[in-house]
Amino acid sequence: MTATDSPGSARDLVTGRSWRATGGYLAGRCVEYGVVLALALVINFVLPRALPGGPLQTLGGGGESVGLLSPEDQKRVLAEYGLDRSTSEQFLTYLSNLARLDLGNSFADGQPVVDVISRALPWTLLLVGSSILLGFGIGVLLGAFGALRRQRGKGNILLGTALLFDSMPAFWLGMLLIAFFGVFLGVLPTFGVGDGFDDPAALPRHLLLPVLTLTLTGLGQFFLYTRYSMLSVLSSDHIEHGRARGIPRRRLTIRHALRPALLPVHTLLMIEIGFLVGGAVVVETVFAYPGLGRVTFEAIRAKDFPLMQGTFLVLTVTVVAMNAVADATYALIDPRVRTGTAP
Amino acid sequence: MMLAIEGLSAGYAPGLAAVRGVDLTVGPGEVLGLVGESGSGKSTIAKVLLGMLPRGAWAAGSATLAGLELVGRAEPGWQALRGSRIGIVPQGAMGGLNPVNRIGTQLVEVVRLHTGASPAAAAARARELVKQVHLAESVLRAYPHQLSGGMRQRVAIALAVAGEPELVVADEPTTGLDLVTQKRVLDLLAELRSTQDMSMLVISHDLSGVVGIADRVAVMYAAKIVELRPAAGIRAGCAHPYTKGLLAASPSVSPDEPWSAIPGTAPPLDTAIPGCRFAPRCPLATEQCQRAEPALVAHDGGEVACHRAAEPMPLSFPSVLTVAAADAVPRTPDPGEPLVRVTGLRLEFRTGRRTVPALRGVDLEIRRGEILGLVGESGSGKTTLARVLLGLVPPSAGRAVVNGMEITRLRGRRLRAAQRWIGFVHQDPYGSLHPAMTVERLVTEPLRLGGVPRPEHRRRVVAALDAAGLPGGPEFLDRLPARLSGGQRQRVAIARALVSEPILLVADEATSMLDVSTRAGIASTLRRLAGQRELAVLFVTHDLGEAMHACDRVLVLRDGEPVEVGPPRRLAETPAHPYTRELIRAGHQRAR
Amino acid sequence: MTATEVVLAAPAEAPARRRLRDLLGVAGAVGVTIVGGMVLVAAIGPPLVGNDGLSPVAEPWAEPRAGLWLGGDDVGKDLFAQLVIGTRASLAVGIAVGLITTVVAAVVGAAAAVGPRWLEATLMRLSDVMLTLPELPLLIVAAAFLGRGIDIRIAILASLAWAGAARVVRAGVLSAWSSPHLEVAKAMGAPARHLLIRHASYVVAPLLIPIFVRGAMRAVIADASLSFLGLGDPTTPSWGTILYWASASGAFLTDAWSRWPLPAGLAITVTVVALALIGVAVEDRINPAMRRVR
Repeated sequence: MTATDSPGSARDLVTGRSWRATGGYLAGRCVEYGVVLALALVINFVLPRALPGGPLQTLGGGGESVGLLSPEDQKRVLAEYGLDRSTSEQFLTYLSNLARLDLGNSFADGQPVVDVISRALPWTLLLVGSSILLGFGIGVLLGAFGALRRQRGKGNILLGTALLFDSMPAFWLGMLLIAFFGVFLGVLPTFGVGDGFDDPAALPRHLLLPVLTLTLTGLGQFFLYTRYSMLSVLSSDHIEHGRARGIPRRRLTIRHALRPALLPVHTLLMIEIGFLVGGAVVVETVFAYPGLGRVTFEAIRAKDFPLMQGTFLVLTVTVVAMNAVADATYALIDPRVRTGTAP
Repeated sequence: MMLAIEGLSAGYAPGLAAVRGVDLTVGPGEVLGLVGESGSGKSTIAKVLLGMLPRGAWAAGSATLAGLELVGRAEPGWQALRGSRIGIVPQGAMGGLNPVNRIGTQLVEVVRLHTGASPAAAAARARELVKQVHLAESVLRAYPHQLSGGMRQRVAIALAVAGEPELVVADEPTTGLDLVTQKRVLDLLAELRSTQDMSMLVISHDLSGVVGIADRVAVMYAAKIVELRPAAGIRAGCAHPYTKGLLAASPSVSPDEPWSAIPGTAPPLDTAIPGCRFAPRCPLATEQCQRAEPALVAHDGGEVACHRAAEPMPLSFPSVLTVAAADAVPRTPDPGEPLVRVTGLRLEFRTGRRTVPALRGVDLEIRRGEILGLVGESGSGKTTLARVLLGLVPPSAGRAVVNGMEITRLRGRRLRAAQRWIGFVHQDPYGSLHPAMTVERLVTEPLRLGGVPRPEHRRRVVAALDAAGLPGGPEFLDRLPARLSGGQRQRVAIARALVSEPILLVADEATSMLDVSTRAGIASTLRRLAGQRELAVLFVTHDLGEAMHACDRVLVLRDGEPVEVGPPRRLAETPAHPYTRELIRAGHQRAR
Repeated sequence: MTATEVVLAAPAEAPARRRLRDLLGVAGAVGVTIVGGMVLVAAIGPPLVGNDGLSPVAEPWAEPRAGLWLGGDDVGKDLFAQLVIGTRASLAVGIAVGLITTVVAAVVGAAAAVGPRWLEATLMRLSDVMLTLPELPLLIVAAAFLGRGIDIRIAILASLAWAGAARVVRAGVLSAWSSPHLEVAKAMGAPARHLLIRHASYVVAPLLIPIFVRGAMRAVIADASLSFLGLGDPTTPSWGTILYWASASGAFLTDAWSRWPLPAGLAITVTVVALALIGVAVEDRINPAMRRVR
């Protein structure tokens, strides 16, 4: 200990290095995101070709009528879609099409998948983005409050409510809210977004129930995680010692406990982004909300495979992009990531 | 009086007092040492003084700070006192700094809270504070995890004095630090007292350390004060047998001075003892001591609670361990080839892109029947060296030959076979025994791993327990570790290490987590075993005094390099290396 | 010196119900009771309701009456029968996915914790990747292409759920691996198998209960979501399918909402809440920090 006890020896630990270490962390994450995207591409390529009935049914646009085609017709369709070439050639074609943002055409109405998706994407981003921010903010605040009020009436009610919302299927919660606000009270619209962005004044009324549903769905996990993490931090020595040093309770709770407690919650944020994007798919279905989830649902009904794959791919890219944003903020709250010491 | 405690009792459960009727005063500018072993009640007093008793605990009596009553104060009333009028260096402060804030931020926060200074003034004050505790200004920009234990303890002290309190309570400020760092921290406290004009209450289990800086010392035993006298008086001669026992139980760096253990353990709080609570362990106890509890009465400039305080006190604690006494047992270290031969051992740890050298070329030898002491401060590489010998960590370079086998080159099944010839006593008697295994199953585990036939197990377990100084009855064999005292646990660990009849025993800080009064007993057991079983022992310790008494030869390690090796008496009388001299000097400055 | 005595709780000599409450608290005991009840319904319920819930037994939108407790749906199929029979599918998916997740997580987590560095890096990066993939959209494409049988759904759900759980197990094994009693056993020459089974399991085994519970919870909800989107198994009723038809027929906009979408959604919610209660109760009891705060 004496070796490092001499004044000044902390200097080399404090200066330099920090940004390089942050860079290393972010670079590692970028590689992961690359793998995620590559995996999504491969899944999209392999799944339709792995079917027992061959790719004709799913890629050739024939649907269930494939069996009725004559062998010659089948061959013609295969050639038309390039499915008679070798797998590697097909994969290259697939990639080059992707690079040109060509995701194929929808079976249902022949529109390019890219067009359908680009119309729906902003709506999903709006829904998921606002729900994540609201769910994270409210969940963290309530979670911290729940940790402080542990073993007391208010805390237990909060915990029970959070568990309840966390346990409800999002689409069912949506149905209940529609039945209550839309039908019973009749104060809010039950489906769609009216005239959309053309009528901004009416928009909030249409958005309220879908956003509320998705926020409540995500809230539970944020609450539970924050509460758990906060309880661990509150029982740690530095909080006890801070109290002994005369730091007021409120300050201790917010500045000294909440910030370290947020570190694990931040990790949850990453997982929860993917979960809420999934939740958006079912919530949009319930509310007939014109986002990617609704597109997915229609695609499932119409067995519109290119559209289904397109939405899967775009949703994956969305999740990765949101994760990257969340990542960039992580290094800001944890000094140990910045200085390259294992957290 | 700055602080006046009168008739203070406190506890954590109704009817169970961890502190019973304590009276104490601390004058302006005075340093009072409060000494006792774990469970004596000393930390409870600190908690009362800061209103930090946990929920469900109780306190009665009075404690006043400059006339202001502290007992029974509600939480809102405490915030104006903590930090600004009573500062604390909390127990385990090294691990108690906010991990995500820079040191500077934490200092500025406390300064601003307690003095209302502007940000700029607070920053200036933080720089000044860091200088006062002899740290560099660059520390302000560091995070706690980047500092050593000693540096963090200084930061904790700076935080305690930041609000310019009238009274500072330091709870175990030196625990976990080595001799030299301990001394520096204590010197720092003494220096601050004189420059800052504040009273201080220093709570510790280390009587010899505290006597060096305190004006008066109070010794607690089983919830009560047994002796309260000027430090100089205690240095000259203790009045209570327990105080005397505590001093005798902390080993001197001179191998010729005796090292004793106090037999037995402190009584649990819920046992009713009619007489003196120390009587069951006291060699001087008479029938009167068993019958009536002694009151605290004036004695030689202070107070003492002992029926026999007035009589001359012949020291007669058993299991005295000195080199001279040990030499009385016929012991002849094997003159032939050494059992353990370590040559040119190097080890680097990789953390991220940096490599940190832990061992930089260590050579050592241990013969059969010999105890080699390995002494060094935390971070010196002594525990790493022990782990290399145990085959737990592969070194980067060098050889470690045990009984003709190159242990660092072995892998898998052959390594595991070799490991069965080496016994290991871990430093943590609380964590090293699986909490759900009974004593019998714990001690049997090496036999099962070694494939010893089942019918032999019971006999060998009982023999090993006996060798470690424990009973082998069925009641004891069925006990879980939770029902053993710290000393008993460590003896179970020794029995477990012995049961497979090893040729080498590695004891890694085997006494460091035990109460002072029981350490000598463990050390003497190891010494006896080395003699009786021709066992080679590597005795790792941060306490030079302990090594001086328990070992045949002592190797001093610093920053992964051996500094000096030799018999204890030679090291004590003619230390060759400046670092050894520094250690010996720090040891001599401690009271005996 | 600074270590405190660990006092193990003495085994309670009380009736089984009391012991359950002592072990898990009131909330945990309630959770165990509900899940037990659900398992009972799934085991003995279907033969008792008298029809398979797949063919009409009454007029469309039939009102509830004796023998048709929740009335009929838009084509007159028995809603109560669907609810009872659906218990089986939902619980089967939940329990199967929970079990598979737990086993895979235990193996992968332990391998990552004690295996060589490259294996740890590979497994942990892989779990990061799995955690980033959006679960439901992937489930949708997989189910759309691979089919809707219960076995395939279980396989797909489990193949996605292990990642987070494996990280928890790895953290548990790592903390156990640094515990003194394990290090002593290692120095005794104990093989890795002995270390894992005798020593690490003491720390890790209690973690597996919340892992199982969480896997089952997420599977029940995800499976219901798939069915709700029309990717359910058409050959047997399930809670999710009931809600799919309720949504398709707009039942939640009519008076039928209280006997059609409400009970099915409640069944899912109650099951998941019960599992969550068990998980929270066990977690609170494992984490020593929680005990200190209490």
